[in-house]
Parts: sequence; structure tokens; C-alpha cells
Amino acid sequence: MSNLKSTSKPIKCIIIDDDPFIQDLLKDKLNQYFPEIQILGLGNNGQEGILKIQQLKPNLVFLDVEMTDMTGFEMLSKLDAITFKTIFITSYKHYAIKAIRFNALDYLLKPFDLEELKNAILRFKKNQKSNNVPVALQNLKLKQASDQILILKTQQGELHIQLKDIINIEGERNYSYINMVNSKKELVSKTLSNLEELLEDKGFFRCHKSYLINKLHITENPNGSTLFLSNGMKIPISRRKKDTFKNWFNNVVI
Amino acid sequence: MNLERNTHFINLDNLVSISRGNSDRMLKYLNQFQELIPERLQQLKKALNQDDRRQIRQILHKMSPQLQFFGIQDIITPIQRLEFEYETIPFIELEALGNDIIYKLEGATKEVSQIIETHFE
Repeated sequence: MSNLKSTSKPIKCIIIDDDPFIQDLLKDKLNQYFPEIQILGLGNNGQEGILKIQQLKPNLVFLDVEMTDMTGFEMLSKLDAITFKTIFITSYKHYAIKAIRFNALDYLLKPFDLEELKNAILRFKKNQKSNNVPVALQNLKLKQASDQILILKTQQGELHIQLKDIINIEGERNYSYINMVNSKKELVSKTLSNLEELLEDKGFFRCHKSYLINKLHITENPNGSTLFLSNGMKIPISRRKKDTFKNWFNNVVI
Repeated sequence: MNLERNTHFINLDNLVSISRGNSDRMLKYLNQFQELIPERLQQLKKALNQDDRRQIRQILHKMSPQLQFFGIQDIITPIQRLEFEYETIPFIELEALGNDIIYKLEGATKEVSQIIETHFE
């Protein structure tokens, strides 16, 4: 039995995955440990998933990232409305995990560690009202990375930040400060390395152990060892990053 | 049900845990392994022969969770390597890793067959 407090209303869920083993395994784990979850149906591919969602109207969908007929995101983009929460399911280190994390969506790694499953269900219960899938779908459509919206969880809730509004990010152990164009400084509980991983292919560069900078806000790069940003900040470039910074600056910025 | 646990290729801990003593459930997972893995092995052999790297990646990606569940741990790292380097890995290495995976999965399939024969037939 689950240690989680059961709610009065059952959680109605659907599992969409083209692997029968994964369907059975997740179904058995949910049945064994989460009596509050009612499995309404199973979808064997994206097309079936769309039909099941439309017919059964679940609160929660466990959705495979990569199916034979379409990806999980493609399936979601084909729906008229998204009135349910999604927990993506995927194998180890799939490339889509980056997009999932960029949009603060939830995911589980197959073949499902029980503690991770419990935590994902707990997060679902806590955050039933927020749904970032529409923003994620919008982000995936955008050609310019700088127009995309980064979603970060904070203690107060969520921050939605358009990338072009970030000037730079300063790392402070397990936290980071995001310096914004409106002069605000947002504190988030992610390390600079976490953010670097999410932003490195979106016009950001880690020029120093404490700084991640946005290419859009570099105003001056006078000598290769420091640079100036649009908010007037002077940022050092670490000695060991000098060459990579130079290449990045010449290829990406100029 | 007490399963023979001195297997070489597979580890049945996850199976025992999810089955909770229910032999039907246990057999369901064993049968599923017997249905899915040999078929995917054939697809993998064909893809390796044709050096169809995208297909190799897809087959391995699909199989990987089931293999982890059956505790075939020592092929998870080569599978992950092939999954991520499938476009760039030299053919000799691709072939060697592929053949090692096939060898171990054939061994695992035999062990699963023996377990079904010994305990469920």
C-alpha cells in the first residue's frame, strides 16, 4: 500500500506506451502501491493515445517519449485541449529529457524505481492546477531560442522567464541568481551547472565557474579576459575558458 | 514459488518483487520476455548486418527497460553506448558490441525458457 495520503477522488489515469512490457509493469506497480489511482485504459501508440484521452478524459497521462508512430510531444500537440497532467516515461538519458526539464515537466525512467514513482505521484497531487505542457508545446514550435520560455520551480511556485530577458546567471553553491533585463534578480534552487546544461545550446555560455552569460546581452568584449553586459556588469572570462569562449564568440555572437 | 536463482545471465529479484508470490503474474513477465526479446534479437541481427544504425538504436532503446528489469546489467552500458554513439562509432566496435549483446541475450532467453519449463509446465 502507498504511504501517500489517499484523496477522496480517485486519480484517473491512462498509460500510453507502445511496449506491452512497460504497460504491464507500470499497471502492476500502480495497482499494487497506489490504490487511489484508477487506470482507465491503455494506449499502444500515439494515435490510440489521442482517442483514449478524448474518450476517457483522464486527470493524469503516463506518456512514452518515443513511440513508433509519433513522439509524446507530437501526440500532445495534436490534441485540441490539454486538461490533464502528463508524466513522461522514457529510457535512460533520452534526448527529450532536456526539453522535459527545460519546461519543468515531470518524467520517470523506465523500468520505474518505486521511490521515484511515489515522488512523481506526490508531485502530481501537489501541483494539479499548474500545467506546463501548453508552454512546452509553444516552446518547441519557436524557431528562435531566445523567444522560448524557461520554466523553473521556486519555493513560491514557478518562474516563467523568456530567455531574451535573462542577462546573465550567477552561481552560488546550490542556488543561482538570474539577472533580468528589468533589473530584477531571481533566486532559483538550481546549480549553475544544471542551468548550463539546459541553456548551453540556446545562446548561453559558461565563461567562468560563477557565471553563465546570454549572448544577446554582451555589449563589449575588449580583451578576451573580461566582457561587459547590457546591465553594466563586468564579467571575468576564466583562463581555461578563453579559447572556447573565443570560438563561441566568433561563431555564435558575431 | 521458489525459483531457481543460480542464473548466469539474468537476475530475478525484480520479477519476484513485482509478482509478490503470484505465479500467474510471474509467468506473464517471463512469457513476455520470450515473446519480445527473440523477435527483437532477430531485428537487431538484421540491422547489424545492414549497418542500419538508426534501427539498431531504436531496437536497443526499446529493449533496454525490459533487460534492466530482468537484471541483465552488464549489457546496459554497451547498450547505452550504442544508443548514444550509434552514428559515429566505428563499424568494428559496433559489430563487436552488437555481437556481445546478442550472445548475452541468447543466453538470457535460454535461461528464461528453462525457468518456464521447470516451474510452469
